[in-house]
Amino acid sequence: MNNHLKIAYRSLLKNKGYTAINIIGLSTAIVAVLFIGIWIQNQFLYDNFYPNKTSIYKLYNRSENQGQIYVGDITMAPAAAILKSEYPEVEYSARLYWTTENLITTGDTKVKSNGNEVDPDFIKIFSFPVIEGSSESMLNSPNNIVLTEQLAKSLFGNTPALNKVVQFDSGESYKVSGVLEDLPSYTDFNFKYLVPLNENKTKDYGSNWNTNTYYTFLRLKTGSDVEQFNNKISSLVHDNAADLKGTSVFLYPQSKTHLYSKFRDGIPNGGKIDQIRLVGVIGLLILVIACINFVNLSTARAQKRSKEIGVRKIVGATKLVLVKQFLTESILLTIISGTTALLIALGALPVFNRVLGQALFIEWSNPIVWAILIVFLLLTGLLAGIYPAFVLSTIQPIKSLKVSLKRNRLLNFREVLVVLQFSIAVILIIATMVIRQQITFAGEREVGYHADQLIEIPIEGNIEQHYQAIKTELINNRTASHITRTGWTVTADNASSSGNFSWEKATPEQQKNTVFTILRVSGDDFVHTLGLTLLEGRDINYETLLADSTAVLLNETAIKTMGLQNPIGKYFKWGDATFTIVGIVKDYISGSPYQTIRPLLIHPSKRYLQNMLIRTNEQFDAKQNLAHIETVIKKFNPNYPFNYQFVNEQFARKFKQQEQIGNLTFVFSLLAIIISCLGLFGLAAYITETRTKEIGIRKVLGASINNINILLSKDFIKLVIIAILIGAPIAWWSMNQWLNDFAYRIHIGWWLIASAGIMAVIVALVTVNVQSLRAARTNPIKSLRDE
Amino acid sequence: MIKLENIFKWYQVSGARSFVLKDINLHIEQGDFVSIMGPSGSGKSTLLNVIGLLDEPNEGKYYFMDEDVLALKAKKRAALFQSHMGYVFQSYHLIDELTVYENIETPLIYKNLSSKERKAIVADMLDRFGIVGKKELFPSQLSGGQQQVVGIARALAGSPKLLLADEPTGNLNSKQGEDIMSLFKQLNEEGVTIIQVTHSEKNAAYGHRIINLLDGQLKDI
Repeated sequence: MNNHLKIAYRSLLKNKGYTAINIIGLSTAIVAVLFIGIWIQNQFLYDNFYPNKTSIYKLYNRSENQGQIYVGDITMAPAAAILKSEYPEVEYSARLYWTTENLITTGDTKVKSNGNEVDPDFIKIFSFPVIEGSSESMLNSPNNIVLTEQLAKSLFGNTPALNKVVQFDSGESYKVSGVLEDLPSYTDFNFKYLVPLNENKTKDYGSNWNTNTYYTFLRLKTGSDVEQFNNKISSLVHDNAADLKGTSVFLYPQSKTHLYSKFRDGIPNGGKIDQIRLVGVIGLLILVIACINFVNLSTARAQKRSKEIGVRKIVGATKLVLVKQFLTESILLTIISGTTALLIALGALPVFNRVLGQALFIEWSNPIVWAILIVFLLLTGLLAGIYPAFVLSTIQPIKSLKVSLKRNRLLNFREVLVVLQFSIAVILIIATMVIRQQITFAGEREVGYHADQLIEIPIEGNIEQHYQAIKTELINNRTASHITRTGWTVTADNASSSGNFSWEKATPEQQKNTVFTILRVSGDDFVHTLGLTLLEGRDINYETLLADSTAVLLNETAIKTMGLQNPIGKYFKWGDATFTIVGIVKDYISGSPYQTIRPLLIHPSKRYLQNMLIRTNEQFDAKQNLAHIETVIKKFNPNYPFNYQFVNEQFARKFKQQEQIGNLTFVFSLLAIIISCLGLFGLAAYITETRTKEIGIRKVLGASINNINILLSKDFIKLVIIAILIGAPIAWWSMNQWLNDFAYRIHIGWWLIASAGIMAVIVALVTVNVQSLRAARTNPIKSLRDE
Repeated sequence: MIKLENIFKWYQVSGARSFVLKDINLHIEQGDFVSIMGPSGSGKSTLLNVIGLLDEPNEGKYYFMDEDVLALKAKKRAALFQSHMGYVFQSYHLIDELTVYENIETPLIYKNLSSKERKAIVADMLDRFGIVGKKELFPSQLSGGQQQVVGIARALAGSPKLLLADEPTGNLNSKQGEDIMSLFKQLNEEGVTIIQVTHSEKNAAYGHRIINLLDGQLKDI
């Protein structure tokens, strides 16, 4: 063993170029795999680390309407309490109200922090580790507050926080009843404090079965069968609210909520796990590419080493001994690469985190991490080394001492591997281009309204009461040009859609196909505030015109799917109520920029208006406008923190996930290409080396540098072209699969495939040319010396 | 045809110049058959390479058909080489992967001849050297003498005026060597100027004159 190591070490040292190419390629690949590995591990940890994770569930809400099934995790207020009191299987149940930000004060210390309102069982369900206080009684009194460690430290320094009092800027005081450990980065919860849920405060959003307001979490007693339980509660909603026919609730494992959160037609249909699979496959491909480099370079070197092997065999080395020696060499190389990779990873992790917008980390203190790393490195070494070891060790001594190996088959194994490598690279290049193009395509899609300088403010506290005063003041001081109210966030996707509509000459077919997205508005200036284009008719003026309580606006798509001619002034029925169409607006994107635009129905209402939409004056800059708005809002609603969102930022967030995938594929395809080129570079070096004599002869026969260059590049370009022919259809097919998720999508043009192909050829050509030009420039008398 | 004036060639060895060629002055007329002789390391091959434009002297003038070769641009020099010179090696240096036919054809490809012209010339060569039956064979399937015949056929395919041969019989037995030399003599009689490097007095005698080299200098006899 010792002897093997020594020989391996010397051999690596002797062939510095070869060793360098292998180490650079392998360590880059290992860094990539390492990053992908920790990212995946992190994703799998998400909300999957609680001590009782197998019995923790999130309540989901399933509603069926006109054949469309909608599944969501926002549930009705009464569900949690009834589930716990009436079903013995339920050990704990708790609701969580969405995250808000508050300014927390103690003495002179003020800390802005986000937190949730929850039911007392919440802490017991998840068994959050407690630092101070007792989890049994933590949120029992309405003025209790539970802090996380970091927040407690910033409020109270190193002194115990228990029983101290803090104030919210809305005026309420809370007594600290417990301190929890900070949440890990791998949870979808995002709170620094918890306070008891105050149903009176959130009642505006509804506390009956008709409205979905809260997240609901449950812990079942050990041994309970969740499927049976779900059957038992299938009629729960209907039993309590007879008018809700198509709605039911069911439990879904909390550990699955992060990765498997997508539902299609009521059935779980992937989610983030799809992204993980994609990235995981890319990681493996990169490792394969790096291993191929190793195999190719080692076997190419066989020609040079055949003499050494021959001598060893003649001296008495058995095949096994040689296999061992070559394996030692490859494992030693992997271990050196692994160490290099770890060092690179340490330095590059922050960069990677920035690209991904994540907080990944490597658990250095965990022995399992090290064990996995070492096993992984040994496996890679074996994988990369086993084929060359056998090839090299079977070389026949007599042959190897006499003549050089010959190339004759159409494609030898090495060339097959290069083809494989470049096929992968081509697939990744195409994938990157398609993803980028799709994002740009959706990004350039006409939004249909002016998202800039548009601010949305949640209507909370006294805002509703003073709405008119706020509006007048903001318009009078020229901060805003138009102000209106809406029931949903304008960029949101999930505005309710429902049926039971009828209109003049509606065929049953049209009625069935017309599923409306419904937007509630206050009926003052909606069109102007959003900056929509009114194609026909007028805006709703419910605010000044009481008769407009039945006026509706429709979008172009609605008119088209309804099949209406001259729609203005036409009546149409929604259930028993009759509405008049007063205006048609141009289509605008209300949901995902990747989906087709659905029929939209805008109707006025005095109730359930949750957002105030402000079109600010573009003559002033956004900061100044925002400051003005804050002053006015604070004046009328002093107890609430100023909450606002820029609509264009909300819109930009819709692209985040795709952009992340885009960045990931870009980084890793770049790596794949670099590693492939390293391998090609090394291989070209060996091939040219074995052909120096031939090159010399050809030069003496009058070949120009160009002739030689073409001669040497031709073989490699042939391989790359075969790789393109293999990779392009695969990429085309799989990227079409990916694009199928988007209704508003690009179509992969032949020119995209062609430019990816040309790119691969150019990259390969440049790589090979470095070697072949050098060979072509060598004076032939050097390679043709007879002595 | 060839005029060398004060040719010097040296290598820098630890600061000092180590001369390979020292003040060579040489005149070779068209139709001549010259043998360069001398012990190992005397600079024979270097001189041949300088004449064959494969190597450059450090100092001196070289006129080939009244053209100042060393002042020419690389491209022109390559063209000159292609159209006027053929090279024959001691170890033949055929391309292992190509057949006899393809080996002879290679220089013609580099001269940008059309495939029809190439076919005619190669057929002519195969015929002339009596190797028509071997045209589909690979070099490894031929004897050394046969390989050298192919090497000469290849060198002559471009119909050069000057044939340069570096120990053309060095790897052959005496019978094969004699055949090659009489071939050379015949070629010379047909008008090809030949310069050969050789160790053997017997082979040198085939030429019209002998040039002796010792330590990079011409030795008058």
